[in-house]
Amino acid sequence: MKKHDSATSASLHELPPKAFRERVEVEILESMRKPRPIYYIGLAITVTMLIIGAVAWAIQIRRGMGMAGINNPVGWGAYITDFVFWVGIAHSGTLISAILYLFRSRFRSRFNRSAEAMTVFAVLTAGLFPLIHLGRVWFFYWLFPYPTQRYLWVNFRSPLVWDVFAVSTYLTVSVIFFYVGLIPDLAIMRRIKKGIPQKLYSIFSLGWTGSFREWKHYNQIYKYLAALATPLVLSVHSVVSWDFAMGIIPGWHTTIFAPYFVAGAIFSGMAMVFTLTIPMRKMFRWENVITVDHYEKAAKLLLFTAMIVTYAYVVEFGLAMYSHNVFEKEQFIFRAIGDYKFTYWLMIFCNAVLPWTLFIKKLRRNLWYLWVLSFFVNIGMWLERFNIVVISLAHDFDPYAFGHYVPSATEIAITVGSFGWFLTWFLLFVKTLPAIAITEVKEEAE
Amino acid sequence: MKKKVLTFDNKEDFLKEFKKIMESGVPPQNVNVKLPNPDHELDHELEKYFKPSKLKFFTLGGGLTGCISGFALTIGTVLAWPLITSGKPLISIPPFIVIAFELTILFGALASLTGFFLLGRFPKISKIIEPEEFGNEFVIEIEGEGA
Repeated sequence: MKKHDSATSASLHELPPKAFRERVEVEILESMRKPRPIYYIGLAITVTMLIIGAVAWAIQIRRGMGMAGINNPVGWGAYITDFVFWVGIAHSGTLISAILYLFRSRFRSRFNRSAEAMTVFAVLTAGLFPLIHLGRVWFFYWLFPYPTQRYLWVNFRSPLVWDVFAVSTYLTVSVIFFYVGLIPDLAIMRRIKKGIPQKLYSIFSLGWTGSFREWKHYNQIYKYLAALATPLVLSVHSVVSWDFAMGIIPGWHTTIFAPYFVAGAIFSGMAMVFTLTIPMRKMFRWENVITVDHYEKAAKLLLFTAMIVTYAYVVEFGLAMYSHNVFEKEQFIFRAIGDYKFTYWLMIFCNAVLPWTLFIKKLRRNLWYLWVLSFFVNIGMWLERFNIVVISLAHDFDPYAFGHYVPSATEIAITVGSFGWFLTWFLLFVKTLPAIAITEVKEEAE
Repeated sequence: MKKKVLTFDNKEDFLKEFKKIMESGVPPQNVNVKLPNPDHELDHELEKYFKPSKLKFFTLGGGLTGCISGFALTIGTVLAWPLITSGKPLISIPPFIVIAFELTILFGALASLTGFFLLGRFPKISKIIEPEEFGNEFVIEIEGEGA
């Protein structure tokens, strides 16, 4: 794979169709060249994080749930926060792949593959947390719907059972969507690679030839998967939000939770797309493929979801104040001026103040700014889930039952480990599969 | 058997030649067309000469099966052991809709994938062993009559 020289690096769209297609292949597959030392350094860091998390989990399994900081009344802590955070991260993949596909948005082709991979890895990460939170992880199969020895089935009225259905469906559909989208690109890899990798790409490309008879089925399945994934993505985070909203705890029991969570999920997922793809663009010299215009469009989406999230924060506070419910009012006053005021105001700053700077065009087009902003949004969205989960439980109805919770070292280590797990998968993906959908970019040739 | 292969660098030339061949009376089953990428504009043109995909029936069938299975699973199991929880009716439709909805999507997606494999005849073992070039050109292959 020879990288084009700078003398020929004219804008891709000035090239004749066939040359455009050939150049697109070369430019995109830059990411799959032999890794540079920086890649190995990155991988070493993420694997170390993963090991830290794995060791902490092993200790927790050995010694019991006392290693976690959760207590009475705060029975849900960092693990449930992490679960909701990672499910949220997954959502942007489906938004970019499915929803923007149905809207025929062109800029999606630059981000959809990374975002789809991100979805799969984020759901894999999220799926670990209910298991970690269970304590006795070896009984994980109790989650699944099957009858006990007394022929009693699970309670289908419980939101926790809905969660099992929603998350496992989401993982399955995301994997199918990711794989089907990859098939033509795997056939391209089969042509380019040699030896054992070629054989593997050949097997996974299923003997794709590119005939119209194949494309017509491919286009249909892609369209129907997009149509199925769109309501699915809305349902998954709605179901996650109902884990809380079906409870009567002040701060949880509210009707805005489903749209509030879905908008927040897409917001955090978009931020993660920036966090991951901006350094990739620099590292793999994708300046010709992913232009600043593409990022500006994605930044507008981030701004739009930030506005919804800000609106939800205001409405949530307003509902509590207008409700004249003493517990709701007390809960929201406590969030703003109580024990957790720092995490609350930091969340407001990260999610409802900073992203509004994207109204300035210059900032929307500044990739350094977008990258730094994406970190703030990631932090802000983790804190949002922390505030919802923890503060409500710490300060519910009876002052004698109020409590306080701070994540323990084990919980922090497992949270760090989850980032390690997610990023390790992502780094391996970047070197084994085309991180931008080649055939979809080729569609722009003419 | 006689075989003719034509390659084109761009869509316009390809489409012009393709229409000419088809209008000259070559049976569609003798013509194979290869495209380097998906193209919605081209799809509409080519679909006039080739049969449309029947994959939608798999998706619909899977979705309906999933929906019925979701309600059958939830209603069937609460009736098999009628245990009232939280004072709710045994057959509580709103929560059961969630399960039925998720299974509609799950079965719809799995059936679509099955349809894709069956209709596209994947995996094509002979092409895995000896792959055909999937390149950057538009190709028209005519075999037998009309070649």
